[in-house]
Amino acid sequence: MSIINLMSQFAPELILTIAALAIMIIGLGLGAQEKRVLGYIAALSLVAASMIVILRGVGYVQLEGVIADSLTIDPMSQFFKLTFLLVSLIVVIASIKEFDNHSNQDEYYTLILLGTIGMMVVASAVDIVTIFIGFELASLSTYALAGFNKKDPGSIEAAIKYFIVGALSSTLLLFGLSYVYGMSGGLTNIGELAVFFSANPGVIQTPIGIMALMLIVAGFGFKMALVPFHMWAPDTYQGSPTVISALLAAGSKKMAFVAAFRVLLIAMIAIKVDIALVFAILAVLTMTIGNVVAVSQRSIKRMLAYSSVAQAGYISLVFVVMSPEALTGGILYVMSHAFMKTGAFIAVAALGYVLLKENSDAKEVDHLDRFAGLGKRSPFLAFSVMVFLFALAGIPPTAGFVSKFYLFYAVLKGGFLGLVIIAILNSALSLYYYARVVKYMYVLPPESPEKMKLPIAYTIAILLALIGVLSIGILPEPFVNWAASAANVIGL
Amino acid sequence: MNVLSLILFIPLIGAAITLFTKSREQARIVALVSSVIPLILTVMSYLEFNPGLAFLKFQFVEKISWISSLGINYYLGVDGISMPLILLNAILCPLTIIYAWGENKQSNQFFALILVLQAGVFGVFMALDFFLFYIFWELTLIPLYFLISIWGGPNKDYAAIKFFIYTHVASLVMLLGIFALYFSTNVSTFEIPVLLQAFSDIASPEMRAAIFLALFFGFLVKMPTVPFHTWLPDAHVEAPTAGSVLLAGVLLKMGGYGLFRVLLPMIDGLGPYRSDIITLMAVLAVVSILYATFLALAQRDLKKMVAYSSVAHMGYVMLGAAALNFMSVSGAMFQQFSHGLITAVLFMSVGVIQHSAHTRIIGDLGGLAHKMPKLAFLMMGGFMASLGLPAMSGFVAEFLVLTGSYITLPVFALLAMLGIVATAGYHLWAMQRAMFGSYNEKLGDLHDLAFYEMMPMAILVLLVILFGVYPGPVIDIFDAASRIIPGVI
Repeated sequence: MSIINLMSQFAPELILTIAALAIMIIGLGLGAQEKRVLGYIAALSLVAASMIVILRGVGYVQLEGVIADSLTIDPMSQFFKLTFLLVSLIVVIASIKEFDNHSNQDEYYTLILLGTIGMMVVASAVDIVTIFIGFELASLSTYALAGFNKKDPGSIEAAIKYFIVGALSSTLLLFGLSYVYGMSGGLTNIGELAVFFSANPGVIQTPIGIMALMLIVAGFGFKMALVPFHMWAPDTYQGSPTVISALLAAGSKKMAFVAAFRVLLIAMIAIKVDIALVFAILAVLTMTIGNVVAVSQRSIKRMLAYSSVAQAGYISLVFVVMSPEALTGGILYVMSHAFMKTGAFIAVAALGYVLLKENSDAKEVDHLDRFAGLGKRSPFLAFSVMVFLFALAGIPPTAGFVSKFYLFYAVLKGGFLGLVIIAILNSALSLYYYARVVKYMYVLPPESPEKMKLPIAYTIAILLALIGVLSIGILPEPFVNWAASAANVIGL
Repeated sequence: MNVLSLILFIPLIGAAITLFTKSREQARIVALVSSVIPLILTVMSYLEFNPGLAFLKFQFVEKISWISSLGINYYLGVDGISMPLILLNAILCPLTIIYAWGENKQSNQFFALILVLQAGVFGVFMALDFFLFYIFWELTLIPLYFLISIWGGPNKDYAAIKFFIYTHVASLVMLLGIFALYFSTNVSTFEIPVLLQAFSDIASPEMRAAIFLALFFGFLVKMPTVPFHTWLPDAHVEAPTAGSVLLAGVLLKMGGYGLFRVLLPMIDGLGPYRSDIITLMAVLAVVSILYATFLALAQRDLKKMVAYSSVAHMGYVMLGAAALNFMSVSGAMFQQFSHGLITAVLFMSVGVIQHSAHTRIIGDLGGLAHKMPKLAFLMMGGFMASLGLPAMSGFVAEFLVLTGSYITLPVFALLAMLGIVATAGYHLWAMQRAMFGSYNEKLGDLHDLAFYEMMPMAILVLLVILFGVYPGPVIDIFDAASRIIPGVI
């Protein structure tokens, strides 16, 4: 395959790379006031990259050559790339207002674009080393972004926690992967590993094989924020700038899922049974603890963080069931959750922005009390928050309902009635804390009677997420089909 | 576009427009228009409807592929079971809007929510695909949640969230039942008629019973049946009058509708568990009737009394369904229709009393008829219909249910008849203490019904009498439908 051809296959990544470099260079010559233009460049590059992914469709391209043996273009990579691009786009649009006049905007947008590239590399990777590289590129960028509010001790704490846990989990993952490399006699390609392990199932049954497996599960567990590896997530999501929380919850966490889909489902398919039990326990713990703790949260960012933990629990049911339908449901869930979570976090960011604008000393702008009477102050914002939260709770006609329906359908089809009942009870419990926010917005009187003026950037960002949530909810067919062809790639 | 889709979507579009109106006047006019158009369309289709067509032969069918990989379609259609209930919903909603004409708290949102609620209920009665059915079933929760939590009474938070979570859990159990039905039958479609026909082919009788019970639970909570009724009195007591009217008038009917649409056609497929499940239904029905009636007897709050009377009256629906002969089943279906009209009058009366006397405690009222003769007259009509006075629609329904039930379930029918005595008791007693006797001067000077309150109540009382004297147009359709439901003798 010629280099030109290869470049054209990875045009979305290249566009983002060029834009990232351009932003860094152009940023040198601009004052804080003028740096807003960098946000537009970043947004444009993301739009262009998304258009290419959409126009290219869900096809499968066979790639050859030194680099291309480690990367692939298939419906799965395309699906996740689009998810990451849209999440980043929404985040960037919202950031244009959030970081207006900030002197480090050039670094900020560069980091977001580099992080997105990292996620896209993971989405395409079919080689354990490439996956690791993509992971690190995305993680290093987001470590810095989490601590972007340098003057806020919470943000620094968030970044440090995220960094330490992230480094630890990367180490665990690398450790596990290196064992796999050793056991297989030097294979890194996921497809080849799958062939090797199904030919030699005994290898993984050795103590060292089980050790490798546990390390990989723990490594991914941290990244996916599964209980008991979730401790960092609430603190990090709460402390980070809110728009970055959206990127973390909707973007980089989903990257862990696509990697886990590829590594655990393809390479480890020979040892299906062992993983199923581990993941059944992890999934039940994750959804239950996430939901139970979310009930007592008064900070909305923290509540969303725990709800994100709980939702990861639902998605990880895929690893238990391991059927094409479950994987389809899981993939669909990832995209739906990306829209719902980004939307919710961006809405919280918008509210915080407006409140700080009104009163620069405002404290705890994400506290539940700040949502009181939002329905009167900003009908659009309140309505959007309501849609995102009801979607997270799985109320029709939203993306959350369709993806939960599909996932539970698949888990039941796999014969795991008990798991579905636990998931359904959890889903009902989650309704309580989501509905409570809705109650605050529409029932309680506002702290101030004035109408809220929502900056246009936030409005566009929220609108994009809203369109995503509702279009998957009302016209799910194309998304389901795409997710199904993505699931086909794994060949369960 | 199909007429059913029009009936379904006009209220939704109306709701969207209502939301953006600027004043109360605009809001209520838009809302009224968008609920009167479906009424006209419904009456037109009602006249065109052919009751003679057999069960599972749906009319005005519309089917569009939706999620083809799962066999999910946008599939609407009506038959004799659903058509009169659609009419009920179409009648009640504009009357409720007229009754709430004076609503001045965020009136655009208020009327919009009522329209969304109406659309959701239409959808439940029209959907012939379980996925669609479930979506509309859940969609009705949201507007009522807001109606209670924004316009409700002092304890509204508790009542609204209890209503929301309680019924949501029941829906989820129902969803499990739907999934189980889908997987056990291998027909790869969510179409209700196809799944129902395939039900008896499921090999394991335990599985069939489990599916039946899961769906049954969803409907039980919605109806509601004792012991799953506790959300209802709370919701009613806190809900604004319009919310109560629609909750008792049409929302509870969704549960009863589920019995006829989904469960009765399955009942012959239950095999060895058939008689046990019929006994279970009959026991739940009689317990509901007696327990709720005696609770109603003990209430001091007029609205709570009416709420418990709803629980008891829905018990007759369950009893008629359990008795499984065409007389009891068509009676039960008619009870749904008739109770929808009657309970609306009752809740509207209570709403007026609350509004002008600022209390609903029966003991604090007294002699209201002196100051509010129009209310007294219409309320009397509602109460008499509710206790089952001949020449009112309630009598026709209860007579058919009890006579029919006596054929197949004599013991249960006799027990249920005990409830009738107490029903007459609490209605008359409440009427006597609240409306008649000497006027309680502490209440000050009360004004009688406003025109917009009187008109819907008068229309409803007239309808109750009309269908009591001449139930033909509705009961013929129900009768034809009940004769062809599999399992009904």
